Amino acid sequence: MSGNETQKKAHDVSEEKRSAAAEKNGRRPLRLSYAKRKELYGYGFISLWMIGTLMFFLIPLGKSLWYSFNEVRIEPGRSVTEWAGLSKYDYAFNQDPKFTLALEATLLETLWKTPLILIFSLFIAVVLNQKFRGRALARAIFFLPVIIVTGPVFRVISGDINTTGNMGADQFSTMFSTDLVGELMQFLGIYGLSENMGEIISTVADNIFGIVWSSGIQILLFLAALQNIPPSAKEAAQIEGATSWEYFWKITFPYVSPFILANLIFTVIDSFTSPMNSVMERILEMKSEWNFGEASAMAWIYFLIVLAAIGVVSAVVNKFIYYEVD
Amino acid sequence: MSDKITPPEQREVKKLRLQNMPAAERVCVRRRDAAEKIWRFFRFVILCGLGFVILYPLIYMISCTFRERNDMNDPTVMWIPRNLTLDVLRETIEAMDFWGALKTTLFLNIGCSLVQVISCAVTGYGFARFDFKGRKLLFGVVIMMILVPTQVISLPLYTQFRYFGIGSLKVNLIDSMLTMYLPALTANGIRSGLMILIFRQFFKGLPRELEDAAYIDGCGPFMTFIRVMVPNAASSFLTVFLFSVVWYWNDYYISSTFFTNTRTIATMLQNLDSELKMRIFNDPKVQISGREQIVWRQAGCLISIAPVLLMYIFLQKHFTEGIERSGLVT
Repeated sequence: MSGNETQKKAHDVSEEKRSAAAEKNGRRPLRLSYAKRKELYGYGFISLWMIGTLMFFLIPLGKSLWYSFNEVRIEPGRSVTEWAGLSKYDYAFNQDPKFTLALEATLLETLWKTPLILIFSLFIAVVLNQKFRGRALARAIFFLPVIIVTGPVFRVISGDINTTGNMGADQFSTMFSTDLVGELMQFLGIYGLSENMGEIISTVADNIFGIVWSSGIQILLFLAALQNIPPSAKEAAQIEGATSWEYFWKITFPYVSPFILANLIFTVIDSFTSPMNSVMERILEMKSEWNFGEASAMAWIYFLIVLAAIGVVSAVVNKFIYYEVD
Repeated sequence: MSDKITPPEQREVKKLRLQNMPAAERVCVRRRDAAEKIWRFFRFVILCGLGFVILYPLIYMISCTFRERNDMNDPTVMWIPRNLTLDVLRETIEAMDFWGALKTTLFLNIGCSLVQVISCAVTGYGFARFDFKGRKLLFGVVIMMILVPTQVISLPLYTQFRYFGIGSLKVNLIDSMLTMYLPALTANGIRSGLMILIFRQFFKGLPRELEDAAYIDGCGPFMTFIRVMVPNAASSFLTVFLFSVVWYWNDYYISSTFFTNTRTIATMLQNLDSELKMRIFNDPKVQISGREQIVWRQAGCLISIAPVLLMYIFLQKHFTEGIERSGLVT
């Protein structure tokens, strides 16, 4: 570090000399070193964003943190805050009838849905990466959710299908559902397991709609990663006579592993920020009842929990990731 | 791999080679071919099944939009309507004020996306290529922008826009399009954190020699960015732009927070039910059951995704292939 700095200083000195020489020659003096100038340009490039972030992100974020410790009333012209300590947090945890339940439900759902989405999207990406007729069409169909799933249409779709559609999700997921699995288990001679397993699998099958619909971007990313596997690795595996099973675990998996982390984080954030999950619904409900302090406290609790979860998970997953070093 | 129909000669060659193989190898090859065939069948079944799960709501929408409401009670009508009609579509378009909303949405959408793509690209470039004090910290803020949901900051943002300005000079920006344009202009619009990240990754992936050449030729950093980097990033610009259009199109939370009179397609769809109640459902002369109301709801869905759907169909390549080139993969 210090060596670097002295070098920089030396550089500065020589730069000064040069600028002095330049002055002598009648040119405009350049008092800043190259590194300094680049630094300034760097600030120049991000200055627009800095202003915006300060105004539209950091200040509101700080305010919402402030609100979470206060009683907030909106009066004409301004919002009035009154220090309330940790009472809002206490309210969220101990008094609010729905919040802790919603929190539990949302976290649980994220916990089991995320791995399923990851596995599913990796599988589909591998399939879509193979060559077959109609691949372009298949890709187009599987990416289609990307353009719909963030919007209000998706709410109607999922609501309608679950309640009022002429063929509910329950009905059409039966083709993947319990009976089939149970029968298969019985056929294979596994009896005791099938009830527990059947239950788990039926939950999964009932949610297959949600899983398929929320893995568009993940498939896209995995597919991109798969196409980045160098042909040399593929050739080597072929020459060594790897079966496709071995190929998947020894070649494909290590190469896409960085994307597993990226997708994991993306999936968690997506399910966490979706206005359709029950915690978000509760927060918005509180907000529409003008309980801003409570709403902010809930939002912050939720935010910190998810932040911690992402931190822990990415620290763990990071250990198993293979980064190719060029 | 061997999907293509091989010409007869090639098949002959294959047969001959199979005959000349040792028995053990022949078995191995046969087994592999059989596995390949089974897998192909399974792949077909899986893709069809899941494709149906994805397309089902869309097919249902189309089917509902063009049927008369009585068809909803007809148990024999599953997909193909008995009585085709355009009335439902027309009524829905009227109730949503579709053309007016479309105009506002497009104006907001395309303008904001364009501005935001540019501002995010500039910011991403700044993070990718310049070394300045606090860069890591500031980039941490970008990551925070991805992580923090808008719902957390929407209330302070609302008050900020309601009383926008310095000191006693306050303006009410609520309901004006500036509430969307200002954040977009300063790289703080919808999902801008993600966009900055994408651009940063992309510009990091470009070779440094490109810029060095431009610097040596006497180009300043900003001109270098415009003349050298932007042309190289054209395709990823398009991809990010398209995604941005989709995100703005689908947004209803932010627009319903800041707009009370400005109508976008997404907010109109949210209000479709109450609008329809005023216009059609509460008419005492006609009784419409809950089941029959689905027809209008589905029609609303169909017309509100139709424009993005069309865009997707025509520009599909840029959605699906652009990501690969956009630098998320490095």
